[in-house]
Amino acid sequence: MSGLVAPFSVPFMGRALAELLLLAVVCGPVSVLVFLRRLAFVADALTHTVFPGVVLGFLVAGWTGIAGGALVAALLTAVALTGLTRWGRLSDDTTVAVLLTAMFSLGVVLVSRQHSYTSDLTAFLFGRLLTVTPAQLAQTAVLAAIVLTGLAVTARPLVLRAFDPIAAATAGYRLTLLDLGLNTAVALVVVAAVQAVGTILVIALLIVPAATARLLTDRLTAMAVIATAVTGLAAYLGLLASWTASVRYGVRLTSAAAVVLTLVACYLLALLAGHLRRPPTPPTATVTR
Amino acid sequence: MSWLLQDTFGRALVEAVAVGMLTGLVGVHVVLRRLSFFTMTMAHATFPGVVAASILGINIYLGGVVAGLLTAAAVAALARTRGQETTAATGVILSAGFALGVALVATQNGFSRDLSAFLVGSILTVTTENLVVTAALLAITAVALTVGGRHLLYVGFDPAGARAAGYRVRLLDLALLLLVDLVVVAIVPAVGTILALALIVAPAAAARAWTDRLAPMTALAATLGAGSAVAGLWFSRLWDVAAGGSISLAAAAVLLVSLAAHRLRDGFRTIFLSAT
Repeated sequence: MSGLVAPFSVPFMGRALAELLLLAVVCGPVSVLVFLRRLAFVADALTHTVFPGVVLGFLVAGWTGIAGGALVAALLTAVALTGLTRWGRLSDDTTVAVLLTAMFSLGVVLVSRQHSYTSDLTAFLFGRLLTVTPAQLAQTAVLAAIVLTGLAVTARPLVLRAFDPIAAATAGYRLTLLDLGLNTAVALVVVAAVQAVGTILVIALLIVPAATARLLTDRLTAMAVIATAVTGLAAYLGLLASWTASVRYGVRLTSAAAVVLTLVACYLLALLAGHLRRPPTPPTATVTR
Repeated sequence: MSWLLQDTFGRALVEAVAVGMLTGLVGVHVVLRRLSFFTMTMAHATFPGVVAASILGINIYLGGVVAGLLTAAAVAALARTRGQETTAATGVILSAGFALGVALVATQNGFSRDLSAFLVGSILTVTTENLVVTAALLAITAVALTVGGRHLLYVGFDPAGARAAGYRVRLLDLALLLLVDLVVVAIVPAVGTILALALIVAPAAAARAWTDRLAPMTALAATLGAGSAVAGLWFSRLWDVAAGGSISLAAAAVLLVSLAAHRLRDGFRTIFLSAT
């Protein structure tokens, strides 16, 4: 039994779990909206577009400048994405793809003028989940609180806009503002998470929880709750697996990847459970004369 | 030609032109069918295949193609599950594939170099094998699209009509996904995932701004792709910055200029029409 709790009494494991649980609370509801609005590609793009901000922030103000730089880049992306997709000259996915590659490349070009080129990129991909500092925890908590408050206020119009944009417009909501609000919320989550847990894990946290919850329920509130619960469970099991594999068996299992793979395993189990709960529609009765 | 292949920059130039043309050709269909996210997913999800193949000691291109086919099948199957749709299914596969690849790479030594090469590529260290594979695929793709491009377009725009006209719609869709898979697997080792996506989407979207007809659009996309690649390489040499990043910024600049030109042309046309 102690094997299930003991690893988390080590300070860095405890902080990693705390960071992930904080993110679970905010990613549950946000991922549901990402799922409803089909913003998976946008979420993926945002994890890449903060990169030039991270680099510039580092160049300007060292380690302390990273969060600020990422925040500026993420907000710029949210505005640019909303503007370009509403402008409608390019299809949505083309806009996202071009913005993603252009901004990420800007970061790469900037980094390539520095020395520790590859190690920076690796840190960006993986984050430093096991070296999360109390300051980062506080930063994540603040951003999570802002996002959750914003969502609590605008949840109703956001959901209406997702299901019936025309009705939302008729009801007097400004669609561009709603889109900007949701894109900004996703951007803030990315900023809160990317430095600590890396891009791989952020993409997964914004997409997989809601997709899993959707397999188990049809109701929105239940989806958000299940999404949070699943993320929390996967965070615990993934970290435990990573710890056990590394300490007990000497297999190098990256913690971020372990958490994502656990989350995907939950998705597959939910897929199975969904099928069992609701057997596939029986074949239509043969027509008899 | 052979003098070009002697020197590093010359080889990179040849590879860049070949990759730019190849991505331009395929990109037209990716942009018209809105397959950008799928392409991105393909680039990430073939990663574990490539890593597994290199660990097991089999051909890495084979590993990538097999992983790509599994990806396409998984996205298609998940998207048909109740309550899931294509975007979410694609996203799940993307995260799963990426994480699996990273987990596999991390078990090996010296993984951070491999990972950043996967992301941003290393076109300046392109191997002869990379060059041969890219050139061969360019020839195959050019032939395939000359024969089947028009049919692919029809199936994409009007699946019901195509089915009624006797087309095997599923088969043609699958053929397109397979083509995207092959292109991604062929070019990612040399240019990385981000540049692959940039070169597939941006030149084709730029060509789309100039014309509505398929044949000129495809030719223009291939030209713009190759042009962006050469210009990007040139700038990277001039200013001593990363080649991959510089090429994809060049592609984005070409798109911006095309969009601006399109807008200007529309503006002039309106003025001209209202004056007469």
